[in-house]
Amino acid sequence: MFLFTPFYLLLVCSWVAQSLPLYKRDADFLSVRTRLSRDYSGKGGDPKDKYFHESTFHPHYDGRFADHTLTNEDRRKHLIILMQTYLSTMSDIGAETWIMHGTLLGWWWNRKVMPWDSDVDVQMSESSMEYLASYYNMTVHHYRLPGVEHGRDFLLEINPHYKNPSTDDRLNVIDARWIDTETGLFIDITTLRRNRTAEVEGLEGHMYCKDKHKYLAAQIFPLRPSIFEGAPVKIPYAYAALLEEEYGPQSLTLKTFEGHYFDETRMEWLPTGSVPLRVSS
Amino acid sequence: MSPRRASSTLKTGANSPLHPPPSPRTSSLAYSTSHPMSPGPQHNRPLIDFVTNEWQYAPDEELDDSDREYFEDKKGKGKRADAPPLPKWVAQAARVQIPRRVQRWAAVYTTLAVALWLAYSSFLKPAWEEEKRLDRGMAHALREGVQFGANIRPTFAGLTHLKKLDDALVPGRPGSTKQRLVFVGDVHGCKDELQALLDKINFNSNTDHLILTGDLIAKGPDSTGAVDLARRLHASCVRGNHEDRVLLAHASLHASLQPLPGPAEDPNTAEDDLDEESFSHGDYRDRAIAKKLSRDQVQWLTACPVVLQVGSVGKWNGGTEVLVVHAGLVPGVDVERQDPFLVMNMRSVDLDTLVPRADRKGEEWEKLWNHHEKHTHPASSRITVVYGHDSKRGLNLKKYSKGLDTGCVNGERLTGLVVRANGHEEVVSVPCGDWQSQKAKKEREEKAVRKAEKEKVGKKDGA
Repeated sequence: MFLFTPFYLLLVCSWVAQSLPLYKRDADFLSVRTRLSRDYSGKGGDPKDKYFHESTFHPHYDGRFADHTLTNEDRRKHLIILMQTYLSTMSDIGAETWIMHGTLLGWWWNRKVMPWDSDVDVQMSESSMEYLASYYNMTVHHYRLPGVEHGRDFLLEINPHYKNPSTDDRLNVIDARWIDTETGLFIDITTLRRNRTAEVEGLEGHMYCKDKHKYLAAQIFPLRPSIFEGAPVKIPYAYAALLEEEYGPQSLTLKTFEGHYFDETRMEWLPTGSVPLRVSS
Repeated sequence: MSPRRASSTLKTGANSPLHPPPSPRTSSLAYSTSHPMSPGPQHNRPLIDFVTNEWQYAPDEELDDSDREYFEDKKGKGKRADAPPLPKWVAQAARVQIPRRVQRWAAVYTTLAVALWLAYSSFLKPAWEEEKRLDRGMAHALREGVQFGANIRPTFAGLTHLKKLDDALVPGRPGSTKQRLVFVGDVHGCKDELQALLDKINFNSNTDHLILTGDLIAKGPDSTGAVDLARRLHASCVRGNHEDRVLLAHASLHASLQPLPGPAEDPNTAEDDLDEESFSHGDYRDRAIAKKLSRDQVQWLTACPVVLQVGSVGKWNGGTEVLVVHAGLVPGVDVERQDPFLVMNMRSVDLDTLVPRADRKGEEWEKLWNHHEKHTHPASSRITVVYGHDSKRGLNLKKYSKGLDTGCVNGERLTGLVVRANGHEEVVSVPCGDWQSQKAKKEREEKAVRKAEKEKVGKKDGA
């Protein structure tokens, strides 16, 4: 009978609470939510080991922060802001990051994101990723931006599976994300890793990402400092050779693409509909 | 023949016992008697009288065996029975006699035709087809809606794209005291060889100006020494791919933001340990050289542009404009719009798009360049490119491109092109020590020593 006295009840409860171990968990909707009352993260349908989720309405949005897609024009505007804030944050921290793939092609043409690109691609060195994971995981960076009232918060989230270098870990090819907590848009960050199996075989300077892209260290390093969307950026050493390899030489010459043409007076990609009428001679 | 000699011949003929006496019938020939040259009545005989034709009367027995066989053959006695009769048309054709002069003409003309055909098929036709192919490629690459160099040219801090050479340094310009321009290919730290080459041409910095085509540093024995020598001579230079790498590595080492240390690397170490290579993502060698360079040396190297505009050097190469680059240029694209990485690294050009490649999978860039320049009119607007970078092709002198990298650091030669305002040009070279293999050998030895030391330490620990 005396077991049910309030004192003993409290004692038992605290014993139970202490004895249960703490489990690692991800930053789920409830722990990071801002303004939404419902989770659109898409976590429910994903395998248990997958860390980052794509929203239920669009793979390029984070469903913990957004419940709808943006118009193309808005998306582009916010993507540029996302890129600028990411680059300046990394430049401030001193983390070594550089642009790749379609983003690098956009840089080559006019130092801007190409209008038809729905995301941006960045890579990071192993040591920088380790540094961010150690000191900057789940940090929120506040930026005051022109035209944005009250500024905006950006979340730097590291995937704990970044420590697993295997390309077989297909659920976690993305090592980190830079997330706009207002629009749900994000930048995928992948780590460029030394190919240690190749090194054992005596091949030095081979590198790869978990998304199975392979590079030679000499193609990437030393990095070149440049400007992208007005922010300081790093460019891989052999940028032109990388672009030719990935997209073919015509990617550096074709002035019409995806319903756009390259206007050489404004040095910008404009929608094909806006081609000025040619003056006949 | 003189009349005198004719008469003496007649005399000896007349006195010869071999000849029968002349018949009186022939002596009455009007020719003999009335001939003005005739020496006299006692020799009054025509030449025909001296012809004996003895063979007609000689009996067969006197013939030797081979002669007899011949005659028997002729008469059909010894004809072989198994010889098939020739077809009628062959026999007829064989009977047709072609004059020897005609035969000779035919032979000469046949030879000429064959020679022409050979020349056409082995030289003219391929050259013509090549020409057409390059023309087609250029036309395809320059069609509407496509263009290499339409982008905003990538620019980088600490990289000068274009620089014009001071008039005072170009021979033949008003106010210039220079008489010779000396272009030298990839030195790669072979300072002694560069000095030897300059000694060989009696280089005098008052009257001569040295222009280096890039890759002055890296790979070889004395990068800093080579830079100092170039600085002392007030040489001009262009940025090679190795200068580019080393200067970028230098910038990353001295960035205002300290780069993050690798797992086992202190970025402030003055001396590199070879083991670090694996930790410093592949630009270890560049960083090692960057650390050795002084501030002045870095400053001098940074000032080297990607493209050096020399302008015309008097009458040299038809007075064409001269550009110096490390690797190459895309024909038909303005210098301002050439991509700097590709200018420092190209080896070939993709013919469909005119996009250069760092490898050799496309068309040799210099072939396309010469093709384009030869078809540029007027000739005064043509451009000559002086470059290095391609030691595999070695000395590569074409009309509008002058490739000077002759693989000095691989133990081949260091080459200079000496040019004067009067149009005179001369190629001078000196032999080089095989630094590359010496370096590799040294590194192998060092590695072996370290490995042995490690094993020793391991054994001690084990014991």
